[in-house]
Amino acid sequence: MKHYHFDWSAVWSGQPLTWLLHGVGVTMLLTVLSCLLASLLAVILLALRFVPWRPAGWLAAGWIQLFRNTPLTVQMLFWYFGALPLLPEGLRNALANGPILLGLPLPSSEMLTAIWSLGLFSAAFLAEDLRAGVRAVPFGQWETVRSQGFSTWPALRHVILPQALAHAWPPMVNQYLNVLKNSPLAMSIAVAELMYQTNQIESFNFHGIEAYASASVLYLLIGLALSQLLQRLGPAPLHDKGVPHGR
Amino acid sequence: MAVERFHFQVIIDNAHYLLVGNLAQGQIGGVLLTLLIALSSGLLALIIGFVLALLCRFFPRRLAPALGTLGELVRGIPLLLLIFWLYFLLPMLLGRGAPDTISVIAALALFNAFSVMLTILSGLAALPPGQNEAAMASGFTHWQRLRWVLLPQALSHILPSLVNLFVALIKDTSLAFVVSVPELTLVSSQINNREQIYPLEIFLTAGAIYFALCSSLTWAAHQLENRLARRQLSIV
Repeated sequence: MKHYHFDWSAVWSGQPLTWLLHGVGVTMLLTVLSCLLASLLAVILLALRFVPWRPAGWLAAGWIQLFRNTPLTVQMLFWYFGALPLLPEGLRNALANGPILLGLPLPSSEMLTAIWSLGLFSAAFLAEDLRAGVRAVPFGQWETVRSQGFSTWPALRHVILPQALAHAWPPMVNQYLNVLKNSPLAMSIAVAELMYQTNQIESFNFHGIEAYASASVLYLLIGLALSQLLQRLGPAPLHDKGVPHGR
Repeated sequence: MAVERFHFQVIIDNAHYLLVGNLAQGQIGGVLLTLLIALSSGLLALIIGFVLALLCRFFPRRLAPALGTLGELVRGIPLLLLIFWLYFLLPMLLGRGAPDTISVIAALALFNAFSVMLTILSGLAALPPGQNEAAMASGFTHWQRLRWVLLPQALSHILPSLVNLFVALIKDTSLAFVVSVPELTLVSSQINNREQIYPLEIFLTAGAIYFALCSSLTWAAHQLENRLARRQLSIV
């Protein structure tokens, strides 16, 4: 420890700073896109559980168990090394040559694989939180709203789902933060996100302590911003025991 | 690319390496190392977490807020970053090279110690206040109340949560892959690099092994939860 020479400019200036900022950008993009994909898939998984046809529910349950009980690392390696080469050759070449969709450049195939893996993995956790939210809505709510002449979908849309989401939102915010905290795994398939860039700085000038401390602060700040944003975007918290506010 | 047929032979050929790594050369690896890392860091986390929870209870003003903040910081950064921190710092602090496996075990133990601490504290907080008050009225000291009244009840309530933490820990051992510790994930990826054409078979097998380990423990936690719920009903 005594030979260590602290120099913060080794991280916060010149080339290392460029790397660091680039890493922050990639991490944020990766997190946001994975969160969006995960939310979409979680809603589909939740819907499958409420389809009257039983096997649909079993499919969703099995899918969720599969993704929750295997490590994200293995899932990412599976998609990258196992599944990506199975795509049709034309599509694969298009992905390898800097893909363009509707005139917009798409992220690299590594980045797309990372978003896909992170999204699928996180969806399984989000779906469970959503389901717990639906189950937390008292059955009397359902009976009441049906007795008022609402049919199934309007009842879900206007009464049950808003309450379910309010119940589920706090654990869901935690899951979205987990997406951020799991995003460094993308470095294992060579996505140049924040963790990757931090290691690059460490091997560039050996100022590991400054690099890791900076990355820690940046991750904490991004996490703080994300949770503030999500709390503001999300539904207002329910009053205790799910009793709607006001009479 | 053999998509039509699952090529079992590659798994059979590499089964020994997947399970124990280069054990004959004295290098533990594969599933055995995964279990070793999970068990040792799990045990460490349990002990440290328990001590931290006790410290929070005995020094609620002086230590609890500091430990709470420290826990937020440790659990607020990615686990992989924590592994890199220790991977970098441990050799500096010890003054000599520390094996990579030790850095990973230390990081997993530290991360989970704070999770254990929070779980125990919330287990204690969930007990009805009458328990503590009755023990106090019976003349128990602070330590005696915890030891004989509060902890036995809280621990039986939080047992399923602790098993779930251990399931997450087993999955997190796969992060050791990134710092080249030859546990199941790294060994699988080494086999994949050597064989080149069977990535599906290899990573599906690795996934199936993790799935068997984790889902059996998840199932056990669920059974435990049901049994505790039934016991509670029979008491009431």
